[in-house]
Amino acid sequence: MSQRKERRGIHVDQSELHCNKGCGYYGNAAWQGLCSKCWREEYQRARQKQIQEDWALAEKLQREEEVAYASIQGAQSQPLSQPQAPPQASLAPFSKFEEKKTNEKTRKVTTVKKFFSPSSRTAPKKENQEGKTPSPSISRQSSIETDRVSRDFVDFLKTLHKPGREVHKQSRAFIEIMANKKDLSADELSECVQDFYQNLSDRLMTHFKGSSERVERVMDEVEKYIMTRLYKSVFCPETTDDEEKDLATQNRIRALHWVDIQMLCVPVDEEIPEVSDNVVKAITDVIEMDSKRVPRDKLACITRCSKHIFSAIKITKSEPASADDFLPTLIYIVLKANPPRLQSNIQYITRFCNPSRLMTGEDGYYFTNLCCAVAFIEKLDAQSLNLDPEDFERYMSGQTSPRRPEADGGWPQVDPPTGSAASSPALTQVYQNLDLLSGMGSRQDRVLEGVQSLQRDLITWQESVEREVQEILEKYPLEIRLPAPSAIDSDNVENDRLPPPLTPQVFAG
Amino acid sequence: MAAGGGAGNKTYSFKVVLLGEGCVGKTSLVLRYCENKFNDKHITTLQASFLTKKLNITGKRVNLAIWDTAGQERFHALGPIYYRDSNGAILVYDITDEDSFQKVKNWVKELRKMLGNEICLCIVGNKVDLEKERHVSVEEAEGYAESVGAKHYHTSAKLNKGIEELFLDLCKRMMETAQAEERAKGNGASQSTTSRRGVQIVDDDPQAATAAGGCCSSA
Repeated sequence: MSQRKERRGIHVDQSELHCNKGCGYYGNAAWQGLCSKCWREEYQRARQKQIQEDWALAEKLQREEEVAYASIQGAQSQPLSQPQAPPQASLAPFSKFEEKKTNEKTRKVTTVKKFFSPSSRTAPKKENQEGKTPSPSISRQSSIETDRVSRDFVDFLKTLHKPGREVHKQSRAFIEIMANKKDLSADELSECVQDFYQNLSDRLMTHFKGSSERVERVMDEVEKYIMTRLYKSVFCPETTDDEEKDLATQNRIRALHWVDIQMLCVPVDEEIPEVSDNVVKAITDVIEMDSKRVPRDKLACITRCSKHIFSAIKITKSEPASADDFLPTLIYIVLKANPPRLQSNIQYITRFCNPSRLMTGEDGYYFTNLCCAVAFIEKLDAQSLNLDPEDFERYMSGQTSPRRPEADGGWPQVDPPTGSAASSPALTQVYQNLDLLSGMGSRQDRVLEGVQSLQRDLITWQESVEREVQEILEKYPLEIRLPAPSAIDSDNVENDRLPPPLTPQVFAG
Repeated sequence: MAAGGGAGNKTYSFKVVLLGEGCVGKTSLVLRYCENKFNDKHITTLQASFLTKKLNITGKRVNLAIWDTAGQERFHALGPIYYRDSNGAILVYDITDEDSFQKVKNWVKELRKMLGNEICLCIVGNKVDLEKERHVSVEEAEGYAESVGAKHYHTSAKLNKGIEELFLDLCKRMMETAQAEERAKGNGASQSTTSRRGVQIVDDDPQAATAAGGCCSSA
């Protein structure tokens, strides 16, 4: 075994380097061991197969829907003798599209070329995607949702009678056309969809004799149906750098985590519970945007987010919010939320939303503000936050945080007023608790110290008492003397000198 | 062409942007116009940044959408995102503040460069109730407006002076522009595509333009 390893390290067998197909050219691990030519063939075959599968699926679905529709229409509609025909028949009004398609063939070639150029990182990714598509769980899940939307769509069109049927046909045909256009660039896809909106709404205008509200309602449903169907293939397509931009924006927002309300001059006081409620709701809404499929639903999320922001401002300032208040707050919300796939979502909405909604309506205004917020965040610098460029650099690199400028201060000693002023209520709470804890800690230390000193005192007191006793004992040793013979006059020294008659008589006893 | 039923019942939809420095009274102006209120505690609207007004001018219905913009200097570079596709722009300055008039001049230059002559410009000197503290002379302001093909108005949101006239005039001018455009389009064949193109092309451009503007302004 070790021998083999060694051999591989030094000397590689030529056959291992060759294309797996055995065509004699060198293979490449990135192409699953095939040479460029074989890989391309293999890849095209897989693609072709997938396209055919898609077609088959689309046809099947369409047949089902046609059946459903026909049964709804009841007896007055002819028996479904032409379920197979619609693709052909409904293409007729779309001769324009066909024309466009041929026009675009030239462009298509360039996209395909780009696709295979070695520097393009899309090739391996496509491969990933191909690996993913057969996964049954994903396709089934999405088909449940699309089926539901299809059913809703049919139900809605039922109320429109004859024009409804035509809208249905056209939408179906359009989705099939789009299924064949997966190679187009995002802008071209967008153009197709927008052309379709335009053509359909023009036709509806003549149908409904210029009642723009009804047209709008139908167009909303059409948008919902089409975009739910196409979402997978046109959201963040691999022909664009949307994903890279998403990541860049996400990282940028992460790096800006230290930006606070003061720096942006946000007129919102999060100390007020109602306001912080609204702020949280706004954050939730802007994050929720990514989960929607239809551009209009995504816009609705942005609108809801904006309304919460307005509530927060109105509660804080007790006057209606102007754009001067709104934009900084929205920027703050976006920074706090860091919504997933922000750029992809914005691009998706601009490409595939019904333009009338995006350009003039209220939704459009909020969407524009979101675009502004993102643009601002992308090129935000020290000047736009009224900061010293050096401070800005230090904050960006994560060396310090503006909340505690004195890095040596240590966290428990943070002054509560400055801490609470600069941060959210939750952080304030944390700081307060930390203060409390550190206070309790020091008190406990003091108590412990006291106990120890008391213990020491006790010990030394005991010792000193012992010592004293000892000293006294030493000083005054205990002598037990036998009692002297009692002689009353023994103490009298001068007894001897007394004259004989007075000499005391000593009695033994 | 879409209206079908004759020009009489066509509804015009116009987008108007409000531009101007922070404290010139853009919001007061538009609140006075749409709600007829000034610094009122009882203002019911949640916000004053996007307001709409329905008008009937010489028998034609007009839907006006008024877009307020953030006036702070640091948001200046975001302007193009706001004013793309607008039919009219109201550039507000404070007659007591010379700087705010300079800002208006910058905006005019930028708008003309980015949008050409298709946009109707109104230069508005607000706060004429503070006539005594005037720092921008009437002759200078009106002369400048004329030189750039804009109309000049004097207003006071506080006294409700000149505001109705301003918006009415602007609407009439925008209608004229729209009608002229329609006539021009009527001669050309591919009207719907061009109109849609106009809507669509801007999707990506403004951001690029903003980025460029940001570089210049921050230098």
